[in-house]
Amino acid sequence: MAKVLMKGNEAIAEAAIRAGCLNYFAYPITPQSEVAEYLCWRMPEVNGVFLQGESEVAVAYMIFGAAAAGARVFTTSSSPGISLMSEGISYLAGAQCPAVFVNIMRGGPGLGGILPSQADYLQATKGIGHGDCRMLVMAPATVQEAAEMVMKAFPLAEKYRNPVMILGDGLIGQMMEPVEFPDDLKSEPTNKDEWATNGMDHRKSKTRNLVRSLFLDPVVLNNNNLVLKEKYEKMKDEILFESYNTEKDYRILIVSYGTMSRVCRTAVDMLADEGIHVGLIRPQTLFPFPEEAICKAVTSSGCKLVLSIEMSMGQMLEDVQRSVLGACPVEWYGKCGGEVPTPEEIIDLIKARMASL
Amino acid sequence: MCGPVDKECGIDLPGLTVIVGNYGSGKTEVAVNLAVYQNAIGRRVRIADLDLVNPYFRTREARKVLNQLGIETILPPEGLLQADLPILSPAISGLIRQPGDCAIIDVGGDDAGATVLAALADAFSGRKKPFNVLQVVNPYRPNTDSVEGCIAIRKAIEAVSKLSINGWVGNANLIDETQTGHIRYGYQFMRALSERSGLPVAFITVAKELLSGVDIHEFEIPLLTIYRQLVPPWKKAIALS
Repeated sequence: MAKVLMKGNEAIAEAAIRAGCLNYFAYPITPQSEVAEYLCWRMPEVNGVFLQGESEVAVAYMIFGAAAAGARVFTTSSSPGISLMSEGISYLAGAQCPAVFVNIMRGGPGLGGILPSQADYLQATKGIGHGDCRMLVMAPATVQEAAEMVMKAFPLAEKYRNPVMILGDGLIGQMMEPVEFPDDLKSEPTNKDEWATNGMDHRKSKTRNLVRSLFLDPVVLNNNNLVLKEKYEKMKDEILFESYNTEKDYRILIVSYGTMSRVCRTAVDMLADEGIHVGLIRPQTLFPFPEEAICKAVTSSGCKLVLSIEMSMGQMLEDVQRSVLGACPVEWYGKCGGEVPTPEEIIDLIKARMASL
Repeated sequence: MCGPVDKECGIDLPGLTVIVGNYGSGKTEVAVNLAVYQNAIGRRVRIADLDLVNPYFRTREARKVLNQLGIETILPPEGLLQADLPILSPAISGLIRQPGDCAIIDVGGDDAGATVLAALADAFSGRKKPFNVLQVVNPYRPNTDSVEGCIAIRKAIEAVSKLSINGWVGNANLIDETQTGHIRYGYQFMRALSERSGLPVAFITVAKELLSGVDIHEFEIPLLTIYRQLVPPWKKAIALS
């Protein structure tokens, strides 16, 4: 298929369809409502279903129901909406049902604002729901990557029988870039007999599937949590990151993700033009976090300082510190009101910190 | 070829011009650059942001550069510029009734974005002079990659806005990945659309970076140079001076 010009939100919607997801339940919220707008005409074209729930709480349980029946299903929302879905996400994780959640973040807390933000990092990576519940989290930096991550998210969710999240800021949803889709990716969950309550007739195994997250026996509940823990460890196989300008020697390393990393990349290029080399690591998976890659980027260079640059008040800082293992100091820089730090701000910051190293 | 530096492009749109089109067709970039051009040829220009549906990348993002050029921008109050609210500035009906030298109204996308125009029906119906209602088309966008798609959107916008579209603007582009071949394809596409619809093409666009790659004599339609202003934070807008 030739390239087309799409908003990130439209590309996310189309990508889900290309991945064979024909079930979309959602409740609109800026800055991601275009996903629903797109799918309200596109889903009928492919005999899919789009149902607008009465709230995000209801949506999360529509997702749970479809996932329990073995269907590919996804939803999209923005920060406050994801908070409302939190309980249902935990139920999905507890019952080991796969689904894809897209969060196009806006500023917070509370109603916050509608401009871009990355302020749900901790929620997505560490506190997406109650109980011992985690999600695999991917963070795209371009519209193309957003589409690719959505297409990849469905098989990953099924592989781990766990919810997967695409975490983008408002810019990813709203900006337009050329995007290309594979012609046909459509497939079905290959392992749905492991959990789906879709009848016994076709199934080789004669064991009934029971979808539940209620385990009153403490031993059984503990065992279920051990199974989840093992899966979360295994998700390290999916770690993805991008290194930029790390082949040169550098004294400062930036860690930044999503569209914020594109601002940093421009700053890195502008500094390189002046003969100043700064490395950049862009985590593409936020959970699991590319700890080893960051550690290696610090220890295999003359790096004296790591900067965690985010559109949040330093939510990723502790993950970066943990990765660096004390090899050098880690500092935060960022904004989280809807303004995006400019390349010039990053350059001024780096020059100022470089002078004191 | 035209823009702030070249004033001989054949675009002549005095008075009121309403810019409509499907979502993401590039209406705002076209409206802003048309305002800059009209200003450069000596008209007193006012531009109104009537985009009530889009949260980002609106005319209001370019207000500083427009104001510096002496172009008046009609926007919601400063404190509500980023509000997720459909704010219709009362100054807009005045602009429709008395557009003066040149007034450009940048409307939101699709029929959803154009619905607000019906609320201004009294102002439009009170006009004695004809005015331009131009539909922007990018054939590289979903839904407007065919002549039928463009005409379907035209009908939907006309139905809700209570206005008749009377011209097309060809805005073929893939933003940074646009090549001159895309401009040529867009030109042929607009000719076919014009023939089928019976409406003229007011102008087509070409990004400043691509100007050197096209021969303006290839096109029998006026060409507006786009100095891209609505850029993400890691890019720089193209200087207008």
